[in-house]
Amino acid sequence: MNAPVEEVVYIVPILDSTDVLKARQSARELAARLKLGSADQTRLATAVSELTRNVLQYAGQGQCKIIDASSDTQTRITVVVEDHGPGIPDIELAMRDGYSTSGGLGAGLPGVQRLMDEFHLISQSGHTCLTITMSRPRLAL
Amino acid sequence: MTESTDFNLSHFIESHQDKLLESWMKGLLPEWRRKHPQSVDEDTLRRQSRQLLDGLAKLLAGQLTESWEPPLDHSITLLLRNLSSARVKQGYRAADIAHYLVTLKRVLIHALLQENLTGDLSRFGDLLATVEIATDSLTTLIYEIYAETRERIIAQQSLSLLELSTPVVRLWDRVVMVPLVGVIDTARARQVTERLLESIAKFEATVAIIDVTGVPILDTSVAGHLMKTIAAAQMLGARVVMTGISPDGAQTLVKLGVNFSEIPTRATLRAGVAEALLLVGKRILSIKEEQ
Repeated sequence: MNAPVEEVVYIVPILDSTDVLKARQSARELAARLKLGSADQTRLATAVSELTRNVLQYAGQGQCKIIDASSDTQTRITVVVEDHGPGIPDIELAMRDGYSTSGGLGAGLPGVQRLMDEFHLISQSGHTCLTITMSRPRLAL
Repeated sequence: MTESTDFNLSHFIESHQDKLLESWMKGLLPEWRRKHPQSVDEDTLRRQSRQLLDGLAKLLAGQLTESWEPPLDHSITLLLRNLSSARVKQGYRAADIAHYLVTLKRVLIHALLQENLTGDLSRFGDLLATVEIATDSLTTLIYEIYAETRERIIAQQSLSLLELSTPVVRLWDRVVMVPLVGVIDTARARQVTERLLESIAKFEATVAIIDVTGVPILDTSVAGHLMKTIAAAQMLGARVVMTGISPDGAQTLVKLGVNFSEIPTRATLRAGVAEALLLVGKRILSIKEEQ
């Protein structure tokens, strides 16, 4: 088995709401290219949409990196969303369903965690980085 | 052989206008005709190009420094503005429009080369540089105008898209429908809510169908906007039926923890219409059944 090769497929700077569309379309496109089902494509696109929208709302701008980390045995897409905004003051609270500081539904972050297979969040003032991964076993050819 | 020191570029263009125009059009027309067979009006183009050569001759009478830019109120600027914005509307690409002036540059340089001005090489170099500065800055200008026109068209389109994109349709007595298409951001959501509430009041609707078939991604932000719209409609006494959530969308919404369970939802608009009619005590029958 070959070691997984991480290939950054898209880097989308997040500056305004059209970039949210660009980011999620890119994610969907990569998922489709790697032959993930349409439900998984929608999951990934929705998760990217949530995170990039958060960037706009709380940090103003940031960056979304979409990475193909597939290996022989699994299809693996990692998305890294980063910003240099004020950070999340209380991560535990932010991960709680129904909690929102902005009058939203408060389902974004915990929802994304449920949509994805892996979810890492680090946040401090000046740097917030979310790494999400969707992995599916690759069907035998 | 002309002495290059006496050579006057402005005068050269004036006296060779017909010949220059001929080679210019010969270089330009085949390509434009091939790409835009419908929109090449040769007479107009020749007239405009002749005016441009006139304008260029006048410009070149003065000294051009390297940082030279065509003055904004010069006839040549206005001419290029008309030409470029008209072509944009006909669907010409930036490269096609740039091709217009690139061809002119080639024709001018070619004509100068044939004048045997090689007696004074440095003077000849100056001449070429002048032609280059003039045509290059005109090309920059025409490109700027092109981008400007495009941006204006895009701005107009997004404005009219916002206007068009939220029609509220009266489906039947007391039933209204909003088909949502595209991206639902805060501005769109506010507009949808306003129009829906207006129509509910105007038609005394008791049922409102919100169809989201055309919404590509239902994330928490879109769901949040929808919920606010639905709450407002319910406050006016209308019941809301939501239709068009795709199977993928439904799974994703559930995972996200978005709960639409208090609102009757239907997979298709067709089922939603049936539900809405039922709520106002109607149903659709085929003519045979009625008889």
